[in-house]
Amino acid sequence: MRARPGVLVSLLFALAPAPGGAQALQNATLRRAQQAYENLEYRQALSLGRSALRERLAGGERARAYELVGFSYAALDSILKSVDAFKQVVLIDPERQLDPNRVSPKAYSAFDVALRQVLLVRQLRIDSTGFVAGQGAVPIRFMVTQPARVVTRAIGQRNFLVDSSAWNGQVNLGWSPRLPNGDPVPAGTYTIVVEARLGQNTFSASQQIRVLHGTVDTLPHLTSLPGYQYLPETEIPPQTWRPLGLAFLYTGGAAIGTLGLESGSLGASSQRELAVAGAAALVTGLVMTLRKPAPRPAEGNILYNRLLTEQIARRNADIAKENVTRRQQVQLTVVPLKSGAPR
Amino acid sequence: MTGRAVVLACLGLVGIAWRPAATQRFTIGPQAVLVDYREVSSGLRYSGAGFGGLATARYRKFSAAAAVVRLTLDPTSQSTAGAGFTATQVDAWVAYDVASYASLEVGLIRRTADPEFDAQSMGAVRIGARSAYDLGLGATVSFRANYLAAPQFSGGGRAAFSLELGLGLDVRLAGRLHGVIDYAFERVNRKTDPGGTGEISAPIQQTLARVGLGIGF
Repeated sequence: MRARPGVLVSLLFALAPAPGGAQALQNATLRRAQQAYENLEYRQALSLGRSALRERLAGGERARAYELVGFSYAALDSILKSVDAFKQVVLIDPERQLDPNRVSPKAYSAFDVALRQVLLVRQLRIDSTGFVAGQGAVPIRFMVTQPARVVTRAIGQRNFLVDSSAWNGQVNLGWSPRLPNGDPVPAGTYTIVVEARLGQNTFSASQQIRVLHGTVDTLPHLTSLPGYQYLPETEIPPQTWRPLGLAFLYTGGAAIGTLGLESGSLGASSQRELAVAGAAALVTGLVMTLRKPAPRPAEGNILYNRLLTEQIARRNADIAKENVTRRQQVQLTVVPLKSGAPR
Repeated sequence: MTGRAVVLACLGLVGIAWRPAATQRFTIGPQAVLVDYREVSSGLRYSGAGFGGLATARYRKFSAAAAVVRLTLDPTSQSTAGAGFTATQVDAWVAYDVASYASLEVGLIRRTADPEFDAQSMGAVRIGARSAYDLGLGATVSFRANYLAAPQFSGGGRAAFSLELGLGLDVRLAGRLHGVIDYAFERVNRKTDPGGTGEISAPIQQTLARVGLGIGF
């Protein structure tokens, strides 16, 4: 098959949705054919369209003329001829699409049949992407209109075979841009060429991409774990009467002991000394009872914090190890450039 | 030592006392003492006061304390005694913690009277236990019971049953400065045989309260 300037034609079609848009046409016959189609004079539109095709037309206008002929044949229920005309359209402009909401079902089905009767590689798309070399792939999407052997290559400073398989319909491939030794491909411009072959028929489409090298981002060290926070390592115990109770207990023990051990022959002893010490103990107990309790270590929280610290340290050790690896890696960024012409 | 030197020394001690210390292993400080002493019968009653000092030390589970007080005792209004006397009492304890709140202790007591025969001088070995609990931050209350073994008296005699009970309080006032209050009740069932006419009971009973300060190091 011969090469066709499909991309430019696609652009023209996109700007002037068929079958309207007669004002953009340069050729007078084609303009008249367009006008007749818009006035629902399909036979006249067909006649003028065929006349225009016999004239010298640019690629976009030729595709438009075939499209007008196809639409007119469809309107006149000549489906086979409509399919033939639409075949010419997609051969000129493989990216051509019809909007099912804007064209008649007959014309749309004729266009669809035409697509399936011509070997095309359409809608070759390569999205911008970025990944660490060896850990990702460049996504390549395209559509093959007939079952065919499809060979996909990346051509740059060196040629790489991306895939060679039999495909039909929507195809999704991934190219891992690595050299045979595992190193990333050199930075630069590469052309992804998709070539479909069915018997003697071949068709190819291409898309240029730029591969950029960069450094891989290192991971920051952690100071905390998300969702986990350090807990206070001291807690204030609830206020109790224990200090006063203990003071009573000890003072009472001393008082009972004193009274119990006093010698009967010596008479009751002076209570002055016991009063001094006992009163001091009871007052201290009362003060300690009324005072806000001193914070005490919260063993559970201390253990939890220790575990959290160890966990963060372990994670940071892993991050440090990961960063050593990342510093040796290459970040590849792939950016699609202008599309190549389909052949 | 001049008065100025004493004032400077006191100010220095106060300055040291207000400085906090992470671990205080030694304390030392002065004490004022109140005492009530009875002997033989209810007619021999003395009451008085005195002063002295206390030093303590702690190493791991071991602790030790020593106190010396100088007492001046006078007969009470109900006493038949004609004159008072002075006494010097030395106490010492060494304790081992068997639990966080309990310790076993041994020690000695020696009290000498002056004039020598106005009251019994005595000495004995202490064997006992002490229980101590924290009332709160920096405040500890303790109770002790000591058996006074192998007592010796300047007037002779023996005492099969001799006990000492004590109540102690240690409160950290500020930084290194502690307030120390200690109560001791001593009962000695002394029996003597004057002239070989048979044993008679000559008990001794003393209550003593110490109020003092301690500086931790």
